[in-house]
Amino acid sequence: MSKIGVFICHCGENISATVDVARVAEAAGQIEGVAFSTDYKYMCSDPGQTMIKQAIKEKGLTGVVVGSCSPRMHEPTFRKACQEAGLNPFMCEMANLREHCSWVHDKSEATTQKAIDLVRTLVEKVKLNKPLYSIKVPVTKTALVIGGGIAGIQASLDIANAGHQVILVERDPSIGGHMSQLSETFPTLDCSQCILTPRMVEVAQHPNIKLMTYAELEKLEGSIGSFKATIRKKAKSIDEDLCNGCGTCTTKCPTKKIPSEFNTGLGMRTAIYVPFPQAVPNKPVIDKENCSYYQKGKCKVCEKVCPTGAIRFDQEDELVELEVGAVVIATGFDIMQPSGFPEYGYGKYKDVITGLQFERLASASGPTLGEIRRPSDGKIPEKIVFVACAGSRDPAKGIPYCSKICCMYTAKHAMLYQHKVHHGKSYIFYMDIRAAGKNYEEFVRRAIVEDEVNYIRGRVSKIYEENGKLIVKGVDTLSSAKPVEIEADMVVLASAAVANPGAEALAQKMHVSYDSYNFFSEAHPKLKPVETNTAGIFLAGACQAPKDIPETVSQASGAASKVIILFSKDELSRDPLIAVVNRSPAPVFSTCVGCFMCASACPYQAIGEELITNRQGKVIKKVAKVNPGLCQGCGTCVAFCRSKSIDIQGYSNEQMCAEVIALLNHE
Amino acid sequence: MTEFEPKIIAFVCNWCTYAGADLTGTSRIKYAQNVKIIRFPCTGRIDFMLLLKSFGEGADGIIVSGCHPNDCHYTSGNFHARRRWIMFRGLLDMLGIDVRRIQYSWVSAAEGSKWADIVNSTVNTIRELGPYTEYEKVAGYLEKEANQ
Amino acid sequence: MSELVKKAAALLESKLVQVVIGYGKGTGNRTRAIFATQVAECENLIFDSRCVQNLAVYLTKLEIKKLGKPAIVAPVPVLRSILQLAVENQIAESDLVILGITPESELIDFESFASIETFLSTHKIEIEEKYTKTIDAIKAMPVAERFAYWVKELEPCFKCYACRGACPLCYCTRCTVDDNQPQWISVASHPLGNLEWHIMRAMHLAGRCTDCEACYNACPMGIPIHLLTKSMLQDVADNFGSYGPSLDKQNTLSSFKPDDKESFIR
Repeated sequence: MSKIGVFICHCGENISATVDVARVAEAAGQIEGVAFSTDYKYMCSDPGQTMIKQAIKEKGLTGVVVGSCSPRMHEPTFRKACQEAGLNPFMCEMANLREHCSWVHDKSEATTQKAIDLVRTLVEKVKLNKPLYSIKVPVTKTALVIGGGIAGIQASLDIANAGHQVILVERDPSIGGHMSQLSETFPTLDCSQCILTPRMVEVAQHPNIKLMTYAELEKLEGSIGSFKATIRKKAKSIDEDLCNGCGTCTTKCPTKKIPSEFNTGLGMRTAIYVPFPQAVPNKPVIDKENCSYYQKGKCKVCEKVCPTGAIRFDQEDELVELEVGAVVIATGFDIMQPSGFPEYGYGKYKDVITGLQFERLASASGPTLGEIRRPSDGKIPEKIVFVACAGSRDPAKGIPYCSKICCMYTAKHAMLYQHKVHHGKSYIFYMDIRAAGKNYEEFVRRAIVEDEVNYIRGRVSKIYEENGKLIVKGVDTLSSAKPVEIEADMVVLASAAVANPGAEALAQKMHVSYDSYNFFSEAHPKLKPVETNTAGIFLAGACQAPKDIPETVSQASGAASKVIILFSKDELSRDPLIAVVNRSPAPVFSTCVGCFMCASACPYQAIGEELITNRQGKVIKKVAKVNPGLCQGCGTCVAFCRSKSIDIQGYSNEQMCAEVIALLNHE
Repeated sequence: MTEFEPKIIAFVCNWCTYAGADLTGTSRIKYAQNVKIIRFPCTGRIDFMLLLKSFGEGADGIIVSGCHPNDCHYTSGNFHARRRWIMFRGLLDMLGIDVRRIQYSWVSAAEGSKWADIVNSTVNTIRELGPYTEYEKVAGYLEKEANQ
Repeated sequence: MSELVKKAAALLESKLVQVVIGYGKGTGNRTRAIFATQVAECENLIFDSRCVQNLAVYLTKLEIKKLGKPAIVAPVPVLRSILQLAVENQIAESDLVILGITPESELIDFESFASIETFLSTHKIEIEEKYTKTIDAIKAMPVAERFAYWVKELEPCFKCYACRGACPLCYCTRCTVDDNQPQWISVASHPLGNLEWHIMRAMHLAGRCTDCEACYNACPMGIPIHLLTKSMLQDVADNFGSYGPSLDKQNTLSSFKPDDKESFIR
């Protein structure tokens, strides 16, 4: 006989303002099988939880329904309270009276009635709940970090320093990411490479970190604590054990005119190349699409000049299988190509460049060795115009969000230019200045006051070329919308920060949610910024949303700490809400007829065969059997089974049917 | 004569639409009270028998909603569900059970306003179609009421 | 069909099989299924145009399985069902001997299920025009009229479940309609119960039905329930390509394509 306890929460006024909670509690008390029903201001608080525990003990409750916020919020809280009072935690369910009721409706009779219906539905479900016990899963204490930028590097070092193994996978031939492309960083004007490269070397030398560059995730299977990752190591055409990084091959390669990705197209590289001098690992790869040998069968100069014989033209991609317990996604971001804005002339005029391209010009190891020169004729520009918000905050054509880093790096670019070209003049067309970080506002002030950067509040309507100069037409809205025209030698567009290409495909491979801009979704926007909805997979850095370096490093350490917490146990408890094929006494044994339609539907191959034999060993029938270690509890098999021979704990056929009937019938 | 208030039941998946409906709540977007949600782990779990049961128990309309294709938390549950719905819808149509009374949708965890939209538009559609008296007659409810 | 009798007798004599499932004389001018376990009983085997029952239904019945390994007389509809049962893991090649009969009434042997599939690829399921016309006419009715039409058509149904008993693909140990925890379908012979039963039957046959019309032939009230299964077959063809049992292709409902049509989903 059921003895259900119903606890209706006011949630302060969040629920009680629109729902008559006392009436809901009273109506619940009238339901057959409910032994105790009450309401209280804050069910999740200490006194609230104590109330539940006391009721369980005093009334001998066999089940609990809490009518409050979303179960996605507090189900673990209330289940834990029940467990502490001696009631199996899976005998506790929550009715969503807040997110699905009080917060979306006005105060009315219908709203209260809906709350009563929702509570009744869950009461009928709990009556059919069975005590369940968590499944224990072993934890493999190795982490997979995808992405070798500053986020991936920081996360890897933290996890490795805590004593766990890390495998760092990077798509490019070297780690470092966008931070390695920067010249100096705001607000300190630290040389980016100088602060990054020691970390890169630390990663390469760390005994607990295994580095795989020029590699990508091919497949991810399994679940938290026991993932199986397949990594595709793309063929570098180099034997890394023999290569000593002397670089002779790169100097002798005859194919020299390939636009360098690292230099954002402003410089050239060879077909066998190291992306930048401080690359880690400092070993080259062969770009098969541009190499004379791979394309035309000629050359092989690198092989001839290599002192250790490390060139391997016959090398193939290698698939490596790894067993890991957690994954950190740190795949970073990309800069939007602003050619979609014809008014700016990007792509049409050589001297209109993006902020990232300016970084390469300013960089001491860049294509112009740190001198700011026009890409068209190599002359030093006397006047540069910087256009902020070139594509960001634009719901019409660009992206509606703010890219966060541009105000700061535009100020930095203008300052760097002024430091390098003392007589130069710089202008920044801006909408707002977002300088919210520590020392950020002071940095921007420095640009305006000390370096005499001209800030013009207004947008640019058109840029066109005339007599070798770029005419920039804009407006100064702070001087009564006076039109402004500047004859510039170079224009730098602070283009929007967008998700990396391939982010969507990667998210789908890992079953991680992503938003409409292909940034990965965090589990909760406020309280779970480094977790995803997929247990065991964490986020770090700009792949989640545009952010600057200090925030990236913080988030990476945050993700690392979540991994370390996970690895602090030898075993994980998994939710036991899995499928089970029914069994009954002889002569039926099971109503399953062994058609295995369930097995064909299971996304995890969790359903196998079981031979039911008699005492003499003769096979009576072949039925389906669920592997509890693999089943994730989706229930697709249950909906497929024609004879209803397979059922899922927690969402069983009886329970769902009882919920439907309860919801649609007023007592 | 009170205005007809449709009774609509919604079958939603935990990972996308339920979370999306939570977001609607957190964003305080208001919508009609007629829709009540039942939580499923995945749309793949939604048995067509439950939809039939709903009409049999007096529902005037049904909403079935889950993750967008390719985004299913369990990889392929929503693909299987989609095939099932295509067949079920065809059968209901053949039998003269009004398919406009069942609204299928993909609502992700980030689409709080879309959920409110779906709810409001479905309530309006059902209000226009009126109570599902033909089915209620078949289910014997009007008889029951007449006998009381 | 003396050739058939000879073959059957030979199989029983050599003890290769223990029972021959075939057609025999029934009441009046009808035929019925017979189960010959003795060589002499093979004389009763006949085959002509009156033999419309689908014998494959007996392959999954416990009482027949107990008799031993069967040989089964298999005209084309029975062959289709045998193949579908094989696809659904209900029979193995070594479990039976097939006495195939072509539409031209010639005997044909099948060594493997794959050879049945090859043979059937030239005898594809085709829904006759008279049925497609009727189905189209029903679909052309306005919704409320269509519903009233079916409620009336299903009124004579008194839940005898002969349709279930005759269908070779209804082999579940416990049918959902017999499950009362929970009671999914109203078992009464009542408009709701009739509607729910026939919806469930049609849905459970989606993608599996081989259009043998055994259900219609078995119905004592002559209700055109085969129109529902035929309309489902059409839907399968329209939405997902061809229909028909196949050893390599996955069952229609247990597979999917990422680009399945979804115009009705918002």
